[in-house]
Amino acid sequence: MTKFLSGLAKGMATTARTMTTHAHTQQYPHVKPELPSRSRGVIALLEENCTSCMLCARECPDWCIYIDSHKETTPPTTEGGRARQHNVLDRFAIDFSLCMYCGICIEVCPFDALFWSPEFEYSTTDIRDLLQEKETLGQWMPTVPAPEPLVPELPQTEAQQLVVDVEPEDDPAAGRTTKRGAGEVPRPGTEEQP
Amino acid sequence: MPERELTVGVGAGGLATADMVLNIGPQHPATHGVLRLRITLDGERIKAAEPIVGYMHRGAEKLFEVRDYRQILVLANRHDWLSAFSSEIGAALIVERMLGMDVPERATWVRTLLAELNRVLNHLMFLGSYPLELGAITPIFYAFREREELQAVMEEVAGGRMHYMFGRIGGLRDDLPMGWTGRVREAIDAVRRRLPDLENMLVGNEILQARTRGVGILDPKTIAAYGVSGPIARASGVDVDLRRDQPYLAYDELFAPGGPGRVVTREAGDCLARLEVLLEQVHVSLELAQACLERIESLGPGPVNVKLPKVLKVPEGADYLATENPLGFNGYYLVSRGDKTPWRLKLRSASFNNVQVLSTLLPGTLLADMVAILGSMFFVVGDVDK
Repeated sequence: MTKFLSGLAKGMATTARTMTTHAHTQQYPHVKPELPSRSRGVIALLEENCTSCMLCARECPDWCIYIDSHKETTPPTTEGGRARQHNVLDRFAIDFSLCMYCGICIEVCPFDALFWSPEFEYSTTDIRDLLQEKETLGQWMPTVPAPEPLVPELPQTEAQQLVVDVEPEDDPAAGRTTKRGAGEVPRPGTEEQP
Repeated sequence: MPERELTVGVGAGGLATADMVLNIGPQHPATHGVLRLRITLDGERIKAAEPIVGYMHRGAEKLFEVRDYRQILVLANRHDWLSAFSSEIGAALIVERMLGMDVPERATWVRTLLAELNRVLNHLMFLGSYPLELGAITPIFYAFREREELQAVMEEVAGGRMHYMFGRIGGLRDDLPMGWTGRVREAIDAVRRRLPDLENMLVGNEILQARTRGVGILDPKTIAAYGVSGPIARASGVDVDLRRDQPYLAYDELFAPGGPGRVVTREAGDCLARLEVLLEQVHVSLELAQACLERIESLGPGPVNVKLPKVLKVPEGADYLATENPLGFNGYYLVSRGDKTPWRLKLRSASFNNVQVLSTLLPGTLLADMVAILGSMFFVVGDVDK
């Protein structure tokens, strides 16, 4: 029995020692946590940039993005000009009860319409309320952190070089400067085989 | 209260005895998640134990088949939520190997670093929760304090705290944030400095030793029969570690002679040995992480991923690759018919095999030791049920 007492005493000693150090408790509702800028809290939508191309909805691993759009024709602005058609976004909704927070939609968006925001306080008492429409998604835009500075060691010229190296005929998307252009290197042999 | 059945034995004369069938779980404070154990008791002694799995089956392997290779990583992340990064890297590695794709060196070292930090996070979880099952409340707070330290740097680089989704086919999602390596070094130093507090409360504690020494001894023959792997196998003297035996990522260099890598083994095979292996592996993993950091800094800037085609198709064929996940072997058997989705992706998860051994390990032990043995098998139910 006495040997257990010494174990107990040692444990108490550790507790006593820890009591003298500062607490690690975060006073959450009163003090907001400082979240890193990459934190994946919620997906914000910049509606103006969305062309309703449906790429995000198709690439989503559990298909939780809903997009409705219709075509509108703008009359020619000049005499004898051509009428132009463009997509108008009617509905853009993300069901956060299904979302797995993988960020694939944000990566595939070719027009930078989707962004991660560290905002996380949008829990609801009803699961149906987690289906967020474009108005709500747009409200999160101001909480999106500024883009990270590029890694300083990587010279800008080198980063550009890496993107330019891509041969446009292999991949129609390659000519476009992507969000994550720096650091990507084309690799021969991995292109899609017909 | 667990449900109780009383089956009264009738039959050939003598003294009529009754075996009691005790269901532990699927919802029970002593089980993690929804593992159910059907235990037949003869008095205080366990006569038979049957782990009943599948309450959390999500059909991961079928879900893999209808997703392209980028989307698969999202799911590979989730079956074992405490080894998310290790699992997603395993899935990426098998696809890369079948594609014959070269991953940039910087990406490989960052992957190795994150995999080791993930291992520490996993082990700290069990180092906190196992004493909790034995009745010690305090250690979990110490373990979670250290976890928080490491999770902060993981969140900074990946944006997630559990499902990192930082690995990609061909490398990583992003480069490291500015000044991140310095903060990782600080975190590792802080954890190493404070780890003795936790250590003394666990292996140095007489009460915990009394609960675990000589309890639930697993012999190497049973381990081989059930395919048990990871820290549990090594605690019984089975010297196998895929990081050294089938090196992937940058482990061939780390586990080379003179390198920081070493395989932790114990001979006893009891609950205490399993806990000791876990604890020492935390030290080894932190050393490995530090070596990775040094290498990343000396490598300097460079690409961390490769440009992928719009549609990624894996050439026809089949391949198997296993990684040493924190809980044991995590293997992916990928069969491709040249489509953009796998034709079959078999998942060999560590916890599934590790839990099966309970049916031979538990019989003969006392009911009071059941929780000590169950907790020391270190499993994640999501990894069992897939």
